[in-house]
Amino acid sequence: MSAGKHIFQSPASGFRRAERAWLWAFRLATYLVLACGLGVFATIVVKGSRTVFQTEAPFLNVRFLTQAPESLYVFDFEGRHYEQGDREHRAFVAAHPAAENVKKESLVYSAGGIFPCIVGTLLLVVGSMSIALFLGVAAAIYLNEYARDGWFIRFVRLAILNLAGVPSIVFGLFGFGLFVIFFGWNVSLLAGWFTLAFMVLPVVITASEESLKAVPKGFREGSLALGATKWQAISTNVLPYALPGILTSSILGVARVAGETAPIMFTAAYVVRDKLPWEVARAGDFFFQGVMALPYHIYVVSSKIPQNDYTERVQYGSAFVFLLLVALIATTSILLRNHLRNRYKW
Amino acid sequence: MPSDFAVAKRRLRLLGLTGDDAIKAFFGGNALVSVVVLLLITIFLFREGVGFFGQNRQNLAIYRQAGLEYVEFIRAQQADHIALTRSLADLRLRYLTCLTEERQMTLAAANEALAGFDDYAGKFSDTVEPLRGLATELTEMATAIKTKFLVTQDQKEARRQLLAEGKSAEAAKVKIDEVDFATELKPLVGTLPVYRDLNREFARRLVEVAAAAPALPTADLRDRMTRLQQHVRDYVAGFPAIETRLAKWDHRRPVPWWESFTAFVFGRAWLTASFWQDWYGILPLLAGSVLVSMVALMIAVPLGVGAAVYVNQIAGVREQKFIKPGIEFIAAFPSVVLGFFGIAVLGQILRAVSQLPGLSWVPGFPYSERLNVLTAGCLLALIAVPTIFTLAEDALNNVPRAFKEASFALGASRLQTITRIVVPASLSGIVSAVLLGLGRVIGETMVVLLCAGNRIAIPDFSSGLGVVTQPVHTMTGIIAQEMGEVVRGSIHYRALFVVGLVLFLLSLAINYAAQTIVRRYRISIG
Repeated sequence: MSAGKHIFQSPASGFRRAERAWLWAFRLATYLVLACGLGVFATIVVKGSRTVFQTEAPFLNVRFLTQAPESLYVFDFEGRHYEQGDREHRAFVAAHPAAENVKKESLVYSAGGIFPCIVGTLLLVVGSMSIALFLGVAAAIYLNEYARDGWFIRFVRLAILNLAGVPSIVFGLFGFGLFVIFFGWNVSLLAGWFTLAFMVLPVVITASEESLKAVPKGFREGSLALGATKWQAISTNVLPYALPGILTSSILGVARVAGETAPIMFTAAYVVRDKLPWEVARAGDFFFQGVMALPYHIYVVSSKIPQNDYTERVQYGSAFVFLLLVALIATTSILLRNHLRNRYKW
Repeated sequence: MPSDFAVAKRRLRLLGLTGDDAIKAFFGGNALVSVVVLLLITIFLFREGVGFFGQNRQNLAIYRQAGLEYVEFIRAQQADHIALTRSLADLRLRYLTCLTEERQMTLAAANEALAGFDDYAGKFSDTVEPLRGLATELTEMATAIKTKFLVTQDQKEARRQLLAEGKSAEAAKVKIDEVDFATELKPLVGTLPVYRDLNREFARRLVEVAAAAPALPTADLRDRMTRLQQHVRDYVAGFPAIETRLAKWDHRRPVPWWESFTAFVFGRAWLTASFWQDWYGILPLLAGSVLVSMVALMIAVPLGVGAAVYVNQIAGVREQKFIKPGIEFIAAFPSVVLGFFGIAVLGQILRAVSQLPGLSWVPGFPYSERLNVLTAGCLLALIAVPTIFTLAEDALNNVPRAFKEASFALGASRLQTITRIVVPASLSGIVSAVLLGLGRVIGETMVVLLCAGNRIAIPDFSSGLGVVTQPVHTMTGIIAQEMGEVVRGSIHYRALFVVGLVLFLLSLAINYAAQTIVRRYRISIG
């Protein structure tokens, strides 16, 4: 451990070497995990950026990000090779009627973009996080500010702990049984929102409680001593200081909500939908429509269509955009949390 | 009035509650939401799932009453013969590789040399023909009875609905053709003497044909042939048992209520939308889930716990600063992206590795199915590692400094301190971390749905560790895959809810175990 020869230093023995080997094994395990994570990330980033970015201005594949998915037609016509999306192809056939009967390969979802999926995912995240934050923060306030230790609180905490361990597909089944069938909401945004909100509730409650705990007791006591009611003390002297922490810690919940596929498979997600979410006849219909969602789209394009050079673009592209979205959210949360931990010290 | 406080204030009361009480009640109500959700999950899984057992009993009852069970004995006998034929085909393949590789024959010449063997195999597989004819005939008869019964059921349902709507006149018009199983089954069961004759002839011919095996060149092949012939003799020896079973069979034997339950829990087949008979047995799915999870944990536990020990005990502060966020970042990978990675990249890589000539000693290698337990397990490990790492690191962190210092003071080395003091002291936390990792893995859906291969069968454990290269289906995967396509209220739909219920209870049990271990075996810090 110390450099140089020391009188008590034992000679390098087999034991020492074994010890060093073990310590290296631990190090190896750690870096292996990091390398695997990096490998997955890098593969998708490298292959996906070929779809999302391009070499000429504006450097971003705007079509991919702003259009709806459509079928891809690959064919040879009059000695030239064509790869066309559905609409483009129809226009082409109208112009060249001879192209109608050319042998062509058609691949669903492999052309166009993923705009409706991005929109759908954002809608799902915003809606479900609003519900989860409302319920979760309120629950945390009760647990941290009002409740006294007793069977009720222990029961609630046990429920939260167990809820956190319930598999996401079970939430999907539950949402399907309760919202889609029992409430008759069908496959809709609303059903997806509540399903996801309940799934992420334990994360939000735990995060909120942690932030509330970080506010020093003196703040509450000072306020109470000045004659404030409990609620006044909480609303003026606790929540404002806890809120940044609550919001940032809950971002981890956002990553979870955005990333889960199983709960929305039968509650909110459509394989394909022509209309964008805001194209509804009545405002009330907005909540009762299914949407396309990015994770479900990735599932569909990676399992339902063959793997080849043409489909690869949309597969990696969607995965890349999705991963970027989630990674962005997660990184923000981790950085902000570390930042806040250093800032709020009383 | 001097006796009153200057700031005395009358509070507004609503239903006997002050404003503050109402606020408290409001927050308390929100805290209750998680309890309510948990209850609702339980209620709705039960509500949709519990009807399964009644429907399955009905399903099993029809199976018996319509004579499908009777025919199944003969079909099974035929299926066993097919299995024997298949092992003969396997033998032919070995024979062929032996000829082409060891004797350096061309493929055409080798096939020519195999003519005698092919003749033998052809005769062998033809022996079953009369039996197959009977089985096909009986299958049609039994299916016809079943269909007839189901039509009756539909008619009854139609009448019931009309009655419920108050249209009794129309209800009376609905014709119901009652099925009398005894008469319907008479021709079916009446084939028994024919079957006996057929069977005797079949056994005689089979033994005769099997004995006339062509000469084989190597000891290994001869050995396999002898074993095959032994199998044939065992197979034929089982015929009288089948005959007694057929003779004893009675369609009136009732299906007890628990049989639908045991058929689910111990059922070895999950077969849906079949023309013959649907089976809802959870074992293949459970086996798949458990197998995949075990592979994942096998990889994730050493890595996760090792990384936790490294970060907590060995790494420097600067290393910690990037390792921890790095692993937390892995936790944020959406599972569907990992699943896609498995389909697009990892499956091929692992298969290519398995086909390296130097690795053929590894059990199960080489394999050709790129989506299998191993692929899914590796990716699930990546999902489990962050969970295990974070919780195990927490547990290691909770070991008092004094433990470590005392150990060092006694002259223990760093490794000794880690393995004998720190890890044992935090073992309860580490074990619960592993359990929670298991919970995470067993409930994971997208990765297994995309990468586990989705073959519904109990994996063949006879190949030892090589079992991990087989495709399986899992409980989570089957729900995700089939839920979108089933008819609401059908037995299949309810069966999926019961699978969900099993999953839910399993996750609760794992959670409970993790909590108990932490509480009970925590080393008190004094």
